[in-house]
Amino acid sequence: MRKVIYIGLVVALCWFAEDCACAAELHVPQNAVAGQPLSISTSGSGTLYLIGPGQVIKKEFKSGSVEIKGEELRNAGRWIAAVHGDGNSSQVFWVKPGKPGKLNFLARPSRVPVARPNVISGVTFVFDQYQNLILDPTPVNFKLEVGGSSSTKSVTSREGVAWINSASAPKAGAAQFVASVDDTSVARVVQQVAADPCERSFRMHVAGHSGDRTIVETDPIRDCSGNPVPDGTIVTFIQNDKTGKSTVDARIKKGTARAELPASDNATITVAAGVVLGNELHVGGRQ
Amino acid sequence: MKLARLLILTGGIAIAISGAVPLLERIFADTKPAVQLNVKNAQPREVEDVTQNAIVRDYTLAWQAISTSLANNTLQPLNENFAGFALDKFTQRVKDQKQNGLTTRIIDHGHKVDAIFYSQDGAAIELKDTASIETQVLDGSTVIHSDQAQIHYYAVMTGAEDRWKVRVLESAAQ
Repeated sequence: MRKVIYIGLVVALCWFAEDCACAAELHVPQNAVAGQPLSISTSGSGTLYLIGPGQVIKKEFKSGSVEIKGEELRNAGRWIAAVHGDGNSSQVFWVKPGKPGKLNFLARPSRVPVARPNVISGVTFVFDQYQNLILDPTPVNFKLEVGGSSSTKSVTSREGVAWINSASAPKAGAAQFVASVDDTSVARVVQQVAADPCERSFRMHVAGHSGDRTIVETDPIRDCSGNPVPDGTIVTFIQNDKTGKSTVDARIKKGTARAELPASDNATITVAAGVVLGNELHVGGRQ
Repeated sequence: MKLARLLILTGGIAIAISGAVPLLERIFADTKPAVQLNVKNAQPREVEDVTQNAIVRDYTLAWQAISTSLANNTLQPLNENFAGFALDKFTQRVKDQKQNGLTTRIIDHGHKVDAIFYSQDGAAIELKDTASIETQVLDGSTVIHSDQAQIHYYAVMTGAEDRWKVRVLESAAQ
């Protein structure tokens, strides 16, 4: 029985020694970069497999080095190099991302009132040209530009992402929100619209009479930064008199809103847009 | 007589093992990996409880999909759990594996995940994952590489129609 065990051990040892002797030498560089050529040196002949996060490269070789073209090595991350042939061997190596070449830029919201603090958010993920996330800190410039005025802020990315919160500009219009790294940039449009009407300047007056109707009209309606409130915004006129209450919802047209209310010898008219109240009028002899 | 019994017994055990090993492998392959999520370091927004649960569920499913897809060279599990760059990359990997007759067996021993970024609008989250993974690459039935390692991954997930999908999954040396 001892003899059998002894023979078994010797066979196993020989097998192991033979396996070690046949192991092909495999040298992979430890500073590979995505998009750059790579040279792998091997001994013997056989098949070289390179198994990456998003691709597999298989090459037959006969001793020496195997050249991998830059455009073949596209994925950053953990790679496996394995040789199968005269000898078998495998190694893990890492490929780093290349230079910034692509930005994934999320800008929210797409429509925002003017002059509001921290209302626009911009998030940028930084990639190289092969869509590998660049984890090294990279300065990202954010620029918000509308009607000739602009604000710029530089943020260094951390673990692939850079973000800012920005105030909307005081001027209405289509703001260009641009994120850039070196010569790569991505633009998004954030529509900055006038805020609510400004209470100080939200006024109406009697514009005339038509038969048994009183015509009231607002002055040009603007927000507190002076931007005209967009046409189509609803303005509500309410008239109270002894016969009851009359309400008219009118849309702003060419900057002003206008309504026809029943003529009255003693009425109070109020005007509102959303939560903003304008002035109050008394009509019918006791104005 | 004794020798004959011993031979029969040995043969029986060998048959039982040969049947049980592939069965166990399949059972382990279909088991969901364990994912532990820590959201204390998430910026600039706190991760809500509902989102935490959804992220754990969907990140787990994503890793299960990777295991299944790379083991069987099928794309369907990837399409359900990945989007964007990550989907493009894994799809290419599966196609390349298929073309070269390779498969990859992943035995997933679990993930310790930190949420490091959660966007203000709640649309995107970035995760840093320390995964314990055993990998075997096979050419046909020949194992050409085998290793077990702790690997750091960075994942970006975004909300899709009914789940969170992985848009970026990148391993990094650290």
